[in-house]
Amino acid sequence: MTEQQQEHGKQQEHGMTRRQLLRHTAWFGSAVVLTIAGGEVISQLGGGDPPSAAADDANALRFVQISDSHIGFTGPANTMVEQSFSEAIGQINALPYRPSFVMHTGDLTHLSTPDQFDQVRQMLGTIRTDQTYTVPGEHDGVDDHGAKYRQFFGKGTKGDGWYSFDLGGAHFISLVNTLGLETMGHLGADQLEFVRKDVAHLSSDTPIVVFSHIPLFAMYPKWGWSTDDSVQALSYLKRFASVTCLNGHVHQLFTKTEGNVTFFSATTTAYPLPKPGEGPAPTPVTLPAGQLHAALGIREVSYVRGGQQGLAIKDRRLV
Amino acid sequence: MRDVLCRIAVALCLAGVGWVHAELYLGGYRQIAYVGPAFLVLASGSFAVAVLLLVSGSPVLRLLAVGLALGALGGFVMSRTVGIFGFVERGLQPAPQAILSLLFEIIVVAIVVVSWRILGMPGKRPIDVP
Repeated sequence: MTEQQQEHGKQQEHGMTRRQLLRHTAWFGSAVVLTIAGGEVISQLGGGDPPSAAADDANALRFVQISDSHIGFTGPANTMVEQSFSEAIGQINALPYRPSFVMHTGDLTHLSTPDQFDQVRQMLGTIRTDQTYTVPGEHDGVDDHGAKYRQFFGKGTKGDGWYSFDLGGAHFISLVNTLGLETMGHLGADQLEFVRKDVAHLSSDTPIVVFSHIPLFAMYPKWGWSTDDSVQALSYLKRFASVTCLNGHVHQLFTKTEGNVTFFSATTTAYPLPKPGEGPAPTPVTLPAGQLHAALGIREVSYVRGGQQGLAIKDRRLV
Repeated sequence: MRDVLCRIAVALCLAGVGWVHAELYLGGYRQIAYVGPAFLVLASGSFAVAVLLLVSGSPVLRLLAVGLALGALGGFVMSRTVGIFGFVERGLQPAPQAILSLLFEIIVVAIVVVSWRILGMPGKRPIDVP
């Protein structure tokens, strides 16, 4: 019997000869080695730092987003929203760094009473940070289209409470899309003009961060989880290399990318809402005992000037 | 000869898949948890297998090519339906990368499957018995 026949016999018996096995292993190994090498090259092209590195960089601009504390809510989904908000603040204060600022993306209160606003303001005052910022949610303008909200948190803002600021090489814009007289999820002509003028002088390589309560993308319009004129606002930001939109309102983590814009919906410190379309309406979800904290959380955001192009996002569960 | 042409076509399309995902990764997707690292693995894996396919027609490499393409297609479908760890996109956004990648991935799967059907699997040639 020839060597070839012997090999064929072994192949019939075991399905694959030793030589074939070695050959397959060699090609697979080569693919793996090349993949690792290629991955290293691509990640170096991206600035050298993996996404999590910015959070560990002492020179990074770092801030925290919290959202939807709903102070004053008393439903079974969370009977102690003040306590969970306090725990979120404790988690921020326990971070191994002092965030440059903390942004609350709306629904600070549940019923926008003066007492609730006062309680939120006092609690925000206990956060170990240089500055706290807010945008209003629809629950912060229940009966007065945000008048009380602006009394407590509107200092230095324009219009219904919108504003912008620069920090660490990035430009931050806080928008109000919850206080419209007719519809929720609306920015309006004045605010759109504010955005247009606000970014006109910026160079296109400036990272832009936009805060709002309601998403600036159509997450689920049927439930009011969209902003009807956001396309106009985002058109002013098209020329920028990196645009990050951070919102609340939907009480759950959600990410979406459209061109140069990445949207990140934050979770809440109060209670979860159903996923889009799950159920007839976005009403508070009561979780089994012991599972609530896993649905609540805070968000750490970091940006290294001159390093990576975008922002690094870390969502943390409430502990 | 036909086999070599098929391999070259698969390698080019796979490199296209890698290029699209590498560009998206560098353009901002690297910031997205799970999705960013997945794009990096897909891009580097696609480039690696594309290069190796130019050298060899090993069935392992063809399987890896199909696996990468199907993985990318699966990720695309999930991101438009149930989401990937909360990451959701809609339609053929980002354009034109989404449609380009889809085309490349479908072509990769189609060529490998059709060439296997027509040309047979390499290394499975009948042995002449004297």
